[in-house]
Amino acid sequence: MRIAFAGNPNSGKTTMYNALTGRSEKVGNWGGVTVGSKEFKIKDEYSGGKDVIAVDLPGAYSMSPFTPEEGITSEYVRTSNPDAIINIVDATNLSRSLFFTTQLLELGIPVVVALNKSDINEKEGTKIDVAKLSERLGCSVFETTSTEGKGLSDVISKAISLAGSKQDAPYIQADINLHDKAAVDAEDRKRYKFVNEIVDTVEKREQLSSETTGSDKADAVLTNPIAGIIIFALVMWGVFWVSQAALGPAIADWLVGWIEMFQEWVAGKLENSPAIISTILADGIVGGVGAVVGFLPLVMVMYFLIALLEDCGYMARVSAVMDPIFKRVGLSGKSVIPVVIGTGCGIPAIMACRTIRDERERRATSMLATFIPCGAKIPVIALFAGAFFSGAGWVSTVSYFLGLALIFLGALLIKYITGYKYRKSFFIMELPKWKMPSLKFAFKSMMERAKAYIIKAATIILVCNLVVQLMQSYNWQLQMVEEGAENTSILASIASPFAILLIPLGFGVWQLAAAAITGFIAKENVVGTLAVVYGLTAFIDVEELEMTGGANTVATTMGMTAVAALAYLFFNLYTPPCFAAIGAMNSELKSRKWLLAAVGLQLATGYTVAFLVNQIGTLVVYGHLADGFVPGLIAVISFVAITVITGIKVRAGFDKKYRLDGRLSGSISLE
Amino acid sequence: MMTLLDADTGKTYVVKEINTEDEEMNSFLFRLGCYEGEPITLVSKKKNSCIVVIKDGRYNLDSLLSEAIIV
Repeated sequence: MRIAFAGNPNSGKTTMYNALTGRSEKVGNWGGVTVGSKEFKIKDEYSGGKDVIAVDLPGAYSMSPFTPEEGITSEYVRTSNPDAIINIVDATNLSRSLFFTTQLLELGIPVVVALNKSDINEKEGTKIDVAKLSERLGCSVFETTSTEGKGLSDVISKAISLAGSKQDAPYIQADINLHDKAAVDAEDRKRYKFVNEIVDTVEKREQLSSETTGSDKADAVLTNPIAGIIIFALVMWGVFWVSQAALGPAIADWLVGWIEMFQEWVAGKLENSPAIISTILADGIVGGVGAVVGFLPLVMVMYFLIALLEDCGYMARVSAVMDPIFKRVGLSGKSVIPVVIGTGCGIPAIMACRTIRDERERRATSMLATFIPCGAKIPVIALFAGAFFSGAGWVSTVSYFLGLALIFLGALLIKYITGYKYRKSFFIMELPKWKMPSLKFAFKSMMERAKAYIIKAATIILVCNLVVQLMQSYNWQLQMVEEGAENTSILASIASPFAILLIPLGFGVWQLAAAAITGFIAKENVVGTLAVVYGLTAFIDVEELEMTGGANTVATTMGMTAVAALAYLFFNLYTPPCFAAIGAMNSELKSRKWLLAAVGLQLATGYTVAFLVNQIGTLVVYGHLADGFVPGLIAVISFVAITVITGIKVRAGFDKKYRLDGRLSGSISLE
Repeated sequence: MMTLLDADTGKTYVVKEINTEDEEMNSFLFRLGCYEGEPITLVSKKKNSCIVVIKDGRYNLDSLLSEAIIV
């Protein structure tokens, strides 16, 4: 048996779904958190042991979709024939929600209405006559509070008992030609009239929605173009400072101690085993994976703080205040949400772009969102900041700001190529009521992430480290590589051709090339592989994240200067993300051309940034240009040339199309 | 007749006309409850945006959209 959860955005569908199924799908206090359908079995305590599947759907205002994720919902309830629908209604906005309710009631599938957020209504003195509402709609209505689990068992048991029965509609749309715009409009108006009339009879408000409240005063400041942006910058700085400079590293220190003890214990156990096994197990697996897990606390603390931000309702305000700036470069205020989510992980960030209505803005955002360093890149930043810059905080700050700057520059570039001038881009964002963020929810979200991180470390990263270790230890004749002949290993011979390309960037050695390549599988691999190929534990006091042998030893071992190290860090941060994120990009962009452009743009950006940092940095610090300046410059110039040519081509085609169509208004017809 | 941009904050108006020159946008606003004859309250306004109350929800609109709503 399948029960679909449908309702307006931000009415609490996913919170209810999580409570009923025990899952921890992403929730947040803004419209458009859920961008795809999800299903899972309802817990026995609610289903009475029956096999009932809950289907969580993205929020929708009506059956006619406006943004792509709304389309998923109307498509599902129309074509997938669920056995019942639970219509989650935001009880604080009954008048808007019932429009969709009356449409759902017309489908003939039994509907149960959950009047959610009834705790807020109680607080504000809004009373809804549930019995009368139920009678007028012709379906069962229950008051619920998803966040506390109140009323859920009533709703679900009613829905189960009704499954398969027939639903009568209180309002049936007249038989009109659906292509006749005027007739459809008139029908919709009648429907709203019907809804308004119901609301008038069942709802009594103590506090009118139009009254200005304290939260309106706060919103006025938070959406103020100057104060609002300063506050946002401070909030994000606070999140990074706490997670990466204060609390995060403190916990990490403690954790690393345990990992080292474990590594020593393993090495001790393997004392009498052949050298190769102890190298692989103790250094390769425990050392490599340990190097990655050691950074877990930084990621966890950041997830916790971001979850608090998402839960309180701040994200909608941020997107409102950033809209004018983002619009100037050809993105939308809604692009801020993927950017913030992207500090955790690029994949949900790319998926979050689905709520952006305009196709070009949506594609541009999903192409660019991963320039913001994700959680997996934190170990890379922390390692390089610690190893080459004595843990200086500016490395991390610069990484994030440069990422943001690249998003703006990339957006301008896309705007230039696709010819932005013909379009109008509207911005409308609901400002949800402020909510006290739930510590429990933030904790859950953090643990969920930690679990995923550890699983990743124990599977993908472990396997990669093992493979790297083996490829480094053996040559193509499958003989152990002898000391001093490391360049003959399988790994060296595969990575060397790539290393040549990296000479102008200051890190043209096979070890670094290999680490950058494994980084495409998962960015944490950069740290893992470096730990393996250089036996890094010997040079880095992991606990203090400092070089023990002095910068010179490292420079010679790693074959690069501090300038080149910074270039290498930026290269890893701004080249294409991991394969999983590229896959997510593929499914959001829905176009091979755009995907190719996205990966090309990211490769070119990573290369160019590293080239500029290395060459200019070397010139400033050492008074001469670094190796390979001319070939590197040729590469960068050809990137620019390709961009300019693509731009000219695309816009030529665009002008032609524009002339033919005469007028292109709105959004979708453009691409 | 004026656009939302010229309206006074704190006042409730009746929507007279909506014309965004974008069919889909018009009908999206309709579904939120923003259409001719319905009340709309201006809560605050800035150079490039404003906050309004439509039905029982608060929304942030950019200037392009506020210009298209005639009250």
